[in-house]
Amino acid sequence: MSQQTQHRHALEIINLSIALPNGVRLLRDVSLKLEPGEVRALVGESGAGKSMIGKTVLGILPDTLKITQGEIILEGQHLNMMTPWTRRKTVAEITALIPQDPLTALNPLRKIGPQIVDPLIRIRGWEKDRARARALELLERVHIRAPERVMQSYPHELSGGMRQRILIAAAFAPSPRLIVADEPTTALDVTVQKEILKLIRELQKETGTAVLFVTHDMGVVAKISQQVTVLFAGKVMEDAPTREVFTNPAHPYTRALIAATPSSADLDRPFSPVPTELIAELHAQVARDDALWQGKKR
Amino acid sequence: MLLRTVLIRLLTTAITLFGVAVVVFTLVRVAPGNPIAMMLPPGATEQDIANLTALYGFDKSLPHQFVIWLSGVVQGDFGTSITLRRPVSELVLSRLPATLELSVMALFIAVALGGFVAVLGARRRNSATEVGLDLSSGAVLSIPDFLWGLIFVLLFGVLWPVLSISGRIDPRIEFDFTTNYYVLEGLLRGRFDVVGSTLGHMLMPAMSLALPLAAMIAQLLKQNLKEELLKDYTTLTRVRGFTETAVILREALRNAALPTLALVGVQFTFLIGGTVIVERLFAYEGLGNMAIDAVINRDLPLIQGIVMLFAALFIVINLAVDLSYTLLNPRLRHG
Repeated sequence: MSQQTQHRHALEIINLSIALPNGVRLLRDVSLKLEPGEVRALVGESGAGKSMIGKTVLGILPDTLKITQGEIILEGQHLNMMTPWTRRKTVAEITALIPQDPLTALNPLRKIGPQIVDPLIRIRGWEKDRARARALELLERVHIRAPERVMQSYPHELSGGMRQRILIAAAFAPSPRLIVADEPTTALDVTVQKEILKLIRELQKETGTAVLFVTHDMGVVAKISQQVTVLFAGKVMEDAPTREVFTNPAHPYTRALIAATPSSADLDRPFSPVPTELIAELHAQVARDDALWQGKKR
Repeated sequence: MLLRTVLIRLLTTAITLFGVAVVVFTLVRVAPGNPIAMMLPPGATEQDIANLTALYGFDKSLPHQFVIWLSGVVQGDFGTSITLRRPVSELVLSRLPATLELSVMALFIAVALGGFVAVLGARRRNSATEVGLDLSSGAVLSIPDFLWGLIFVLLFGVLWPVLSISGRIDPRIEFDFTTNYYVLEGLLRGRFDVVGSTLGHMLMPAMSLALPLAAMIAQLLKQNLKEELLKDYTTLTRVRGFTETAVILREALRNAALPTLALVGVQFTFLIGGTVIVERLFAYEGLGNMAIDAVINRDLPLIQGIVMLFAALFIVINLAVDLSYTLLNPRLRHG
């Protein structure tokens, strides 16, 4: 406890494990730290458990998955020890989510305005005018033209890129200290991706919000993050500053991931996927660890 | 564009009503049973029978009779009731308010009860409560409306007689009605004893009609709610700090209600069909009760009039459902 007062992380995850009801672990002893104002990328192939970490922090893990061990500490507050009520309040107070698919993340039957303003009024207790002004300010900030009109629109009247920019505005509106960005560019086409990435980076710098950026794209990692956590099969393979990961990757999987990322610099280079032997070996390693862990449990 | 929609709608309505008219007119005449025989005492002479048959035009060919009847209908004349000897339109319209009030009350009960159970089931999804609600709505659904009527009569009319089991209003109440909308008129004229007595008389038949529909709404709406609660926009609302109940009521309910609305529209017409038996059971003076008398007495003009009115009612309800669907769904509004 005394340690926290010395240095308060925006987010600290200690030895987090998540399992299916049948006991199969999807997340294995994951630990990571996120400093205030820092962007940490969570990379890995699909199924590596990177989204699950974000969901656990936000308390929106599907009911079928259970946290078997580990702690989540948000700004020095232990979420595990809270009642669901205070936990919900705390998470809403500190965090926000930029979702993956902007097409399903807005209520199709409600206008844009209330969807941004409502949480500010009902959860934060802001005045109506203040909330509206804040929404307009942020919509302008994410380059929405005619924000007044957009607030009166329904989601189906807007493009996917516009909806993602609106969701970014909505995420930053209550000035959260931690944003979980869950593959926010995956569902968008490439030209829009760049713009969205740039917006998140700019707003993050301006506000000093810490961001947990979930992605499978090493190119995105290089552009946005200061720290990287590389995941494979729910296990942390490497945890290092981004620059170091790209210049001198310590783990063979990280090296293979970087090599597999196409780059515009040398288009002639043949496409090199992560070697199957490496994946097989990593899986075997994870299985051995699991067996050991099972043994320890008994 | 709108004009075209309205015109198409009117045309299809006219075609539907004409089809119903042909079918009903033919069926009641082809079915066994002779209205003339019902009217004459036993031992009437051949001459008497022939005279009466000619008087009502039953001696003419079927198409000829149809043309005579239809030309009257177009001018608002649905003929004269054989048994009651009064214009069919007058008889039918005097009974319509009773059936409308009963059906609307039943609809309100069904939506309120079904909606509540659906929200509760969605709130407590994947728990014993949900299983319990599923089982009970399954049980409720498997009992038809007239059987519910009998159960209610037994419970609240015989074992614990708190509700009146017949009629539409306490006959001791003195009130000079200008319309037959008892509840509506009582409310407008501030006579709450009238409203109370009428609602009390309507409660059991309305509940009998409402329960199966309520169970259906509960099942479908809950399923739709559960689907909405897995979508990203509800997840985002949860992250923003709203309680699960708020997520259901503020975000998911409107989306889940849309597909349910289509079912309620169709089922509401079935509910009105159900009034025929339920009104009889509770001696409730509505259209349905009159329909049964008309069928028993082979009162052909009256049967035709009642069926045509029911058909028109169903068309209006379908239209209302379509309109409200468009109004509630912004994606359809501009298209």
